[in-house]
Amino acid sequence: MEKDNKAEFRRALREVKNLPTLPGIVAKLTRMADDPDTTTEQMGKVISKDHILAAKLLKLVNSAFYGFPQKISSLSSAIILLGFNVIKSLIISASIFELMESSDVELWEHSLGTAVAASILAKRLGIKDPEEVSTAGLIHDIGKVAVKMELPEQYDEILNTVEMKQISMAEAERLVLGLDHAEVGGWLAKGWFLPKKLVEPIACHHLPKKSKEEPLATAILHFSDVLIRGLGYGHGADIWVPPLSKVAWEELGLSAADLDEVLEEVEENLWDVKGFSLDIQAELENKSA
Amino acid sequence: MQQILCQQAAEGMVLAKDVQTPEGRTLCGKSTPLTEAMIGRFIKMEISHIAVEGHPVKVAGEKSLKEELLDIEKRFSRVKHVPPLMFLKKRIMERMVESRKEQEG
Repeated sequence: MEKDNKAEFRRALREVKNLPTLPGIVAKLTRMADDPDTTTEQMGKVISKDHILAAKLLKLVNSAFYGFPQKISSLSSAIILLGFNVIKSLIISASIFELMESSDVELWEHSLGTAVAASILAKRLGIKDPEEVSTAGLIHDIGKVAVKMELPEQYDEILNTVEMKQISMAEAERLVLGLDHAEVGGWLAKGWFLPKKLVEPIACHHLPKKSKEEPLATAILHFSDVLIRGLGYGHGADIWVPPLSKVAWEELGLSAADLDEVLEEVEENLWDVKGFSLDIQAELENKSA
Repeated sequence: MQQILCQQAAEGMVLAKDVQTPEGRTLCGKSTPLTEAMIGRFIKMEISHIAVEGHPVKVAGEKSLKEELLDIEKRFSRVKHVPPLMFLKKRIMERMVESRKEQEG
């Protein structure tokens, strides 16, 4: 019986019927990106038709975790600078955040913080396309949102299990659903045709040793998650710092001095992101007022 | 240093960071004491938040240093056997103590 339930959860999460709005525009943009005759201006125009989305995208693009020295004011330059995969992921996260609204500002803050840390580590470790890794940080917990949307009853049960058994969210998910949000996030990212560099880190952020093709990007995301938890910057139902994967830690090869510098840089940048989420909170308050 | 919304700003607070327009132009340098006119201008220019020295705005439910340190202790309580994380905890605590000293000073 229990096994049937788990198969049912798996199916519901794979189908994700309740994550609306994004497939239309994302599918259209994906088609355009594959067509060699499409210009970035044309793609920018498609996005600008949705004013709210366009504004949110530019806000995300200009936030501290990408750290461009000058303001990016057009969507077409954003596409050139960040690449289509990043823009696509940002569209997804902008839409998802709308769903989370005020109910989960904590998770949004945790995601922003993880993006900041991932960006700093990716640049420091000389990874190619660091923006993709920071974007993975932004959407790494998207599986949690999917569970909340698709399986609200089970989601409540997971929260209760976290509270009752004093275990982490991922452990509680494995108990209740037989799988965790990282696995679900991996399916979603794969379903949206995001590249391996995003899919693997998301799918393996709690078990980095499972990463086969992107071990460094995965290690960066894993440690960014741990670091942001350590700083207590946005957390979910469970507040604890998750265990550190030995494989990931060795992959990163950070010394004590490195860690000090990273911490300094992350805290400095979190200030800017803090402003970013203050804005969002103010917007939400205005909305509900 | 505290990050506040422009609506929370008041005359006499001192900027801890440059204030920039959304285009990246510097409007006002750090260490400048704020005036009502400046705050009004920031709001008009849709600058949402600024960083000020010290910790002038009391946030409801804000924790004392002791509470913050206890929270850090609790967050790390399940990874006591992991040396890199214990180092991380030690440094986060030290930085927390330092930042609170700055605020009081």
